[in-house]
Amino acid sequence: MTPRLRLIIFLLACIGLMPAFAHVAMRMPSFGAHPLPYGETINAVATKERHVTNMVSAVNFDYRGFDTLGEEFMLLCAVTGITVLLRGTRGEQTSARPGVLEGRPIRPRSEAVMLICRIFGTLTLMFGIYVALHAMTTPGGGFQGGVIIASATLMIFMGETYRGWRRLMHSEILDAIEGGGATLYALCGFASMVAGKPFLYNILPLGTPRDLFSGGLMLIENAGVACAVAGGFAVTFLEFLEETRAEKEDPE
Amino acid sequence: MNRFTELLPWIVAAWLLAVGLYGMITSRHYVQLIGCLSVVQASTYVLLLAVGYRRHAGPPIFYTHPPGTPAVDPVVQALVLTDIVIGATVTALLLALALQMHKRRGMLDPQELRPLSR
Amino acid sequence: MNALLTVLLLMTALTGSGVALTRTPRRQVMAMAANGLVLALLFMALQAPDVAFSELTVGTAALPLLFLVILASIRMDRSPRDGDKQGPDKP
Repeated sequence: MTPRLRLIIFLLACIGLMPAFAHVAMRMPSFGAHPLPYGETINAVATKERHVTNMVSAVNFDYRGFDTLGEEFMLLCAVTGITVLLRGTRGEQTSARPGVLEGRPIRPRSEAVMLICRIFGTLTLMFGIYVALHAMTTPGGGFQGGVIIASATLMIFMGETYRGWRRLMHSEILDAIEGGGATLYALCGFASMVAGKPFLYNILPLGTPRDLFSGGLMLIENAGVACAVAGGFAVTFLEFLEETRAEKEDPE
Repeated sequence: MNRFTELLPWIVAAWLLAVGLYGMITSRHYVQLIGCLSVVQASTYVLLLAVGYRRHAGPPIFYTHPPGTPAVDPVVQALVLTDIVIGATVTALLLALALQMHKRRGMLDPQELRPLSR
Repeated sequence: MNALLTVLLLMTALTGSGVALTRTPRRQVMAMAANGLVLALLFMALQAPDVAFSELTVGTAALPLLFLVILASIRMDRSPRDGDKQGPDKP
């Protein structure tokens, strides 16, 4: 198929779908006044039933907990795929030397960048842990906190160059964190079954609302998600950055 | 004018889908194509969150407000939240595939891609 | 429908078109980061702070970095076999 033909087909499809879109858009309920039966039910009952104040976490880890288990394994599969694809062709050797492009001068990292990265790397890590911990009370949770923790590790790369990054990031530990997080989530489900309740049923004491440690089993699931997401993203960063290192072993 | 702003969220979602698809079919570079795919993804986020929006309502977090205060839909937010994070790793997987293709074929133009012959 | 939402929705459409219509991958990365930032603001205005958090980190930090790293490793072209066959990836 030539690019021109493809473009013509695309434009025809757009023109053909335009009346359908107009038909649907005109009959949508007015913006901001949709009937939201599920959301309203959860807003009304979740604080009483599950003793948490963040409804999004309640949906993620309790009402739709099984779905989150699936998401968790999607993450695991994607990260495994990345590792197999990249490491499979690259090999396992670890020469801790960044590759250089010919004719591109290498400038040493300025001390200001190092200072900023050392300060803000720590602060970002703290913030990530804070966000991950406060899943049940205020905006936050394992998914967001995990990504923030993983991007805090990038500050190591920016501040301490590739050598420092390679010394601190060990693939074995990160893999274990990622897989362990996903396993922890699955084990939470089986723990409920051992207790004679349905899969992922909340068997732990729920605590008091607005308390950091409220929500029972959701707290453990949240910790599992935070570990899996932080580990998964860190492994992805590590594998991608490994692609830019020098091919040959450093002789020195 | 009022009618237009009422329809704006759906128009924006449809526009992002269309412009992302246009960028994908006319792309000459796989990494650029994956970037266009992220625009298509963004259209679904805008659509879902716009459906869950409620006028004069707060976020679905009852830490300072007592439960029962009008709040927007938490279900669509939970959907979008997990999808953003998982979508990022899937995008990373696609990028790894693009790099792999450059290593094997030495090119990255989707229009020149032929089926694997070996 | 308030003015803030209208402006943010229009900016989302604008920056999204910017991402899709930018042909050079390296420039597209910057457009993506801008789009991620506007999307995070839009989600905040739509009363979704949780989603805004994850979009902010993923859209403006994690994804652009992954794109930049991939572009860097494609430019370095470490393939032993295709050393003579330079692809049309040089921007």
